[in-house]
Amino acid sequence: MAAKKKGKRFITTTVEVEGRVESKIVEVPAFSPVPWGADASLDIVGQRLPRVDSLEKATGRARYTADIKRPGMVWAALVRAHAPHGVVTIDATAARAMPGVLDVITAADVAGVLASAAAKLFDRDVRYSGQPVAAVCAETAEQARVAARAVRVNVEAAPFAVTFEASMADGAPLVRGAGSNYALNSPLVESRGDIAAGLAKAQVTVSLTVRTPCALHSAMEPHGAVAEWEGDRLVVWESTQGIFRVRSNLAAAFKLPHTRVRVICDHMGGGFGAKNAAGPHTYTAALFAKRLQLPVRCIVDREGEQLDTGNRPASEQRITLGARRDGRLTAIKCEAMVPLGIMGWEGGPAQIYHELYSCPNVHTTETFALVNASAMQAFRAPGFVEGAFGLERAMDVLATKLRMDPVALRVRNFAKKDEAKARPWSGNGLLRCYEQGALRFGWPSHGDKPGSRSTPSGGSKAHGAADAQGRNTRRGVGMAAQVWGTGGGPPAYALVRLNSDGTATVLTGTQDLGTGARTVFAQVAAEALGMTMAQVRCVIGDTERLPYTGNSWGSMTTPSVAPAVRMAAEDARTQLFEAAAEMLEVDASTLSSSGGVIRSTSSEKTMTFSDVSRKVGEVCIIGRGSRGPNPQKTGIFSFGAQFAEVEVDVDTGVVRVLRITAAHDCGRVLNPTLAESQLEGGILQGVGYALFEERIMDTRLGMPMNPTLHDYKVPTMADSPRIDAFCVAGADPVANHVGARGLAEPPIIPTAPAIANAVANALGAEPLQIPLTPWRVLALGLQST
Amino acid sequence: MHLHVNGRSREVHPASDASLLTVLRDELQLTGTKEGCDRGECGACTVLVDGRPVYACLTLAVAVDDATIVTVEGLGSNAAPHPVQAAFAALDAAQCGFCTPGQVVSACALLARNAAPTEAEIRDAMSGNLCRCGTYPKIIAAIQAAARGEFGALPVAGSAR
Ligand code: FES
Ligand code: FES
Repeated sequence: MAAKKKGKRFITTTVEVEGRVESKIVEVPAFSPVPWGADASLDIVGQRLPRVDSLEKATGRARYTADIKRPGMVWAALVRAHAPHGVVTIDATAARAMPGVLDVITAADVAGVLASAAAKLFDRDVRYSGQPVAAVCAETAEQARVAARAVRVNVEAAPFAVTFEASMADGAPLVRGAGSNYALNSPLVESRGDIAAGLAKAQVTVSLTVRTPCALHSAMEPHGAVAEWEGDRLVVWESTQGIFRVRSNLAAAFKLPHTRVRVICDHMGGGFGAKNAAGPHTYTAALFAKRLQLPVRCIVDREGEQLDTGNRPASEQRITLGARRDGRLTAIKCEAMVPLGIMGWEGGPAQIYHELYSCPNVHTTETFALVNASAMQAFRAPGFVEGAFGLERAMDVLATKLRMDPVALRVRNFAKKDEAKARPWSGNGLLRCYEQGALRFGWPSHGDKPGSRSTPSGGSKAHGAADAQGRNTRRGVGMAAQVWGTGGGPPAYALVRLNSDGTATVLTGTQDLGTGARTVFAQVAAEALGMTMAQVRCVIGDTERLPYTGNSWGSMTTPSVAPAVRMAAEDARTQLFEAAAEMLEVDASTLSSSGGVIRSTSSEKTMTFSDVSRKVGEVCIIGRGSRGPNPQKTGIFSFGAQFAEVEVDVDTGVVRVLRITAAHDCGRVLNPTLAESQLEGGILQGVGYALFEERIMDTRLGMPMNPTLHDYKVPTMADSPRIDAFCVAGADPVANHVGARGLAEPPIIPTAPAIANAVANALGAEPLQIPLTPWRVLALGLQST
Repeated sequence: MHLHVNGRSREVHPASDASLLTVLRDELQLTGTKEGCDRGECGACTVLVDGRPVYACLTLAVAVDDATIVTVEGLGSNAAPHPVQAAFAALDAAQCGFCTPGQVVSACALLARNAAPTEAEIRDAMSGNLCRCGTYPKIIAAIQAAARGEFGALPVAGSAR
């Protein structure tokens, strides 16, 4: 099975995370398993197996960070400033005297104690509303909460800017007090070809400006940590997407060697990009735990969660597309403006303009403005969700102008390679997504007249006619496409331990955000070992006891970790076969295994894994696997297309999404049920982004007005459309030897533009701003058709 | 005072302003009931009080001292799950699982008062339980399957095992 590789053990390679390219020294695995191609016959990988931990979740037995209770544990609560800019003074006298209060910390207690980014904890310079400025520790959660409210916080108000326009205006207040309000070397320009020539060649052009909202991750489980010192060692339970990154953060903050910090994350209640590092709550818990020598729990409350744990920044995008009459794009131009928050990184809207379609001339400019608002954090496909709304709306407008079917327009501009970096795709199933998605949706093959794209399920209503409930409704359909880098990469390691009872344990320091990582890695190991699912258990989420893997971000976990798990399993199996060969008196090369039984081609005799394990007893067989480098000069991406049908009440402006069909390509699907759940999750977040979700900023006060789940609307079950989500068949053995690419982020990308395009179809008017709240829809008005 | 939780009478000492959620989680270590917002907006804390679903975060502990309380732990265990729990597990109605206990409790309450709900009735009854992972389609399927008896006969309303 395994081909030996000669050459250097460590090499320099590049890894792409959410559009950013990082250079890394990585290990070249000692051997590389033969890739599982599309025709590989696999028994367990690819099966619809139940999530291994779903029953403990359904019975309430699964433990999350806030469920951890340590002996003698006390509670901490953060105190926030509710002003956008100014110097803070704090009076905690009253709070300290309250029942149960053990300790209060402010900036003075951090100075000289914490290093690195954590030294800014409770900064006296308040730069955004919601910034933590102090923390209280008390005997009970309620006492901590009440005392936190009793801390008097006074901000000496300074001028601020919370919008892009205010930040970029002449004489604007400096958001960070110094430097410039331009963030990240703005403006960032990226271009290929000659945009002026491309526009000159165009026979048809469309120009539009779209606006997307600031959206909040809103995981149901808030951020939280429990911290405890064992002598000079720090143990932290954290709800996180990256246990090793939290470890690095804490080690830097407390000036400790990495191995004196242990971070544990067993179950966690969703992250969506907001839980990629230690946060103020983590440092607070660890600091109080150190000062009091007691275990401390610090869970962010819902208001804090909505105010200050990250967001997808708003955007404005000015787009021009140029095309020939036959629909071939000659020019794609986008100028994007992003109010970033107090800090962030360049996950802007532009990248998808370069990657989704074939076009010789593409030019984008991104300007990121610092504003006095909480920092952005990667939110499920950062930048691409915003960019897809602009690009895919523009494509829809272009299709209408060309009197061309929107699917046909996209097929015509299919990119046969990654034109942004002039390299081949490892695999690309987008054409199959268009074809199969359109078929399953029942995409009408005729007509582009508004409201005329009637569908099998309902048919278009006569304009202005009332339905059975007396509502004036119109239906429409729309679609959109998606691309997203999902190659994953090194470093990621796994161990597979064969136990004396004939079972196997997968040990890998990853985390399961609700994606099903535990389940799919057990499947991969069982497949590679030739064991049954019931014999394999996957242990994750502990920096002290498990080998390193990176953060669960950038749709990386499956393509990064699965190959390491497979390699470790094959390594373990090779070792076990050597023992079995001795027992069966055959040559190890004649052995194979499946379903927990080991067979030889040269003997009738068989053995089970249990037989061999029992005989070898407590001999420790451990297989080791590492993730090798990605193929160089190859673009590894996942693709998809979504189709939406909406019903618009023209009197009230209420949009209902009736159904969505989603066809995605992520190479090999390790577990179709879990993949569909991920697709449905992304789509539902996309529905919220299209229709309801928006952080509302009071521009005069500089404060977010809706930091609650009541006022920041995420979709409920009542809003959930019928969803038909699937992955097209296939495998991508070029990407890695498991053949799987990532799938976590792709499904949110095309949902909002597909819905807005359907609304455009229903109304014959072009929605240019989301969320499509009733008043925005009413303001669109009805154009005569 | 005593709380009647999951078929047992438990002595607790809540402050007068303590929520049922705090008492369940912090005092009785019944951590299956989750806190997602502590202000009646998410449904993660849903428990049954005399068979009716309530938000434990908005319920004062002292106000339910003679009521019968059932939490997600009381509905079933890993060894003997409630049919609704078995349906959730089998049909992948939990992703991160944080909202799941509240969803399960609300679903049980629904089926106890309406043994054969329509999809519209399910959507209506369950819309007080938010899920950010997007399990709604799978939850609908799980409730329908449980209602059809595919995971065993449904026990009598509100009873704890
Ligand atoms: S915690 Fe009670 S409704 Fe959210
Ligand atoms: S499963 Fe994660 S919030 Fe519902």
